Amino acid sequence: MADEPMSSQTDTICLETRDLWFAYGDNPPALRGISLTIRAGDFVGLVGQNGSGKTTLAKHFNGLLRPTQGQVLLYGQDIRDRPVGELARTVGYVFQNPDHQIFSATTREEIAFGPRNLGLEEAEVQRRTEQAMEHFDLTEYADHQPAVLGFGLRRKVSIAAVYSMRPQILILDEPTAGLDWHCTHDLMERLTALHRQGHTIILITHDMRLIAQYTPRCMVLREGKLLLYDDTRKVFEHCDLLRETHIELPQVCELARELAPIGVRRDALTVPELCDSYADLIARREVTNAGGH
Amino acid sequence: MQVGIDLFVLRKSWLHEIDPRVKLFFVAVSIIILLVFKNIFFMLTALVLLHLLHWSAKIPRDRILFVWKTLMPVAILICVLWVVFYPAGDPLIQIWMVKITLVSLAQGAVLGLRIMTMAFVVFAWLYSTDQPSIVRSLVKLKMPFEWGLILALALRYIPTFQGMYAVISEAQQARALNISEGKGFGRVRTLMPIFVAMVISALRASDQLARALEARAFGAHGVERTYLRDISFRPLDWVFTFAIFATALLLLYLNFRYGFGRQPISLF
Ligand SMILES: Nc1ncnc2c1ncn2[C@@H]1O[C@H](COP(=O)(O)OP(=O)(O)OP(=O)(O)O)[C@@H](O)[C@H]1O
Ligand SMILES: [Mg+2]
Repeated sequence: MADEPMSSQTDTICLETRDLWFAYGDNPPALRGISLTIRAGDFVGLVGQNGSGKTTLAKHFNGLLRPTQGQVLLYGQDIRDRPVGELARTVGYVFQNPDHQIFSATTREEIAFGPRNLGLEEAEVQRRTEQAMEHFDLTEYADHQPAVLGFGLRRKVSIAAVYSMRPQILILDEPTAGLDWHCTHDLMERLTALHRQGHTIILITHDMRLIAQYTPRCMVLREGKLLLYDDTRKVFEHCDLLRETHIELPQVCELARELAPIGVRRDALTVPELCDSYADLIARREVTNAGGH
Repeated sequence: MQVGIDLFVLRKSWLHEIDPRVKLFFVAVSIIILLVFKNIFFMLTALVLLHLLHWSAKIPRDRILFVWKTLMPVAILICVLWVVFYPAGDPLIQIWMVKITLVSLAQGAVLGLRIMTMAFVVFAWLYSTDQPSIVRSLVKLKMPFEWGLILALALRYIPTFQGMYAVISEAQQARALNISEGKGFGRVRTLMPIFVAMVISALRASDQLARALEARAFGAHGVERTYLRDISFRPLDWVFTFAIFATALLLLYLNFRYGFGRQPISLF
């Protein structure tokens, strides 16, 4: 059932929070009244300064943290009484540090651990494991010890190990931290592929270029409050507000803004977009110039 | 977040200021005295004085209650066992086979009180001395520096490992591991994914730590160590040391020569 392609971005709301407040013990609240909805099939980037509450918010989505006040709803149902292990069926959460979950003697066992915990039949466990390894290009490391693989590979193992449970919603906490440019884009392409298959993906990151290039929706937290949440292009329009919370737009976006007066599209998000727009501009100029003669 | 191991209470008090070696000396001497004396009034006086000590060092009341709460059950148990099994003298009351005498009551109370007084001695030291100072004082007392470092690192890493356990257990729960499953050996099996991931992470951390230490020339040959923060005796520390020494000597002399505090009830 989970194998069938899920339709991308429907109007179904998969996650919702209502006036969510949370404080760690007696500390001042880390989340202050967050209300938001995430549609099934969305690819959302979650950004904000260190300590703004990104991880804290994300941990509410799979029940690792419970609201001090307010509600979290999964497909319209309050998750208050549902244990983390059961929510894991629907919401996968990849931790910031891969070493916090790797423990098996082989990559294959590591990836099979989650599906097994879900009580699936052995054949299904195997099928999902092989498929997850294939998706993340880990098949050649199937019998290696995952703990001694390189960092980039350990990262992929940790994601594959959560993906193999086939959660509809996949949350990743800074999955590209410590990865080089090549590994980062390789990983982002694989996540985009999952998004196309219909998975809802929530990506926590500090890299605004990844947001610009890959995530169509963007959520900005500041001091435990939801500052902005909209289509990435619209969020980027508030560049002054973003700068206030120390988020710099990618240089290409700044450049597009600078070039806007001469007719380049102001809201270009990536280099190809800017180039296209610029090429258009030149082409139009040539037409007018040619017409003028 | 409350971490379990660091007992130190940051306050400004005379007890916090005195040299940690003086406090260590006080602990050692007090324990000897408390073991030698067997008199209930002596113990009660000691207990009152120790509370005054804690109070003058501005130790908060809940820390004092913590000592009581933790050790009272043991103290009471020891007291009761003594009273029941070692009757001496005329019974006050007799319930079936159990004779309760005044002497054994007093002796039991002394044993129970001894636990409490010793605990308050040790906690006065731990509450008023931070870990680095404890380690520094031990090194000053000629414990090899490397041991001191190992002890300091071990203490330093306890909260780190506690945090690591919390995160790893969350990470495995997010993979549908039901950590409340199983009993006895079954439970150990359930927790295996957490333990193994902890060991791997701990090994990685220790490897990094070793490299970091080496990169900073730790253990280089033929280099005499100097210390950034030294501890040194001030005149007041000498006064305290002398006072502790003199008091202990006097008490022991009275005890050996005149039997002061040897009987459970009468003082001499
Ligand atoms: N276990 C904890 N106990 C107490 N306070 C915590 C704990 N974890 C986080 N906090 C605090 O809650 C606030 C939000 O932290 P959180 O980790 O959610 O931020 P973040 O946006 O994920 O930051 P980063 O970008 O550094 O990962 C911070 O002020 C942090 O100090
Ligand atoms: Mg975080």
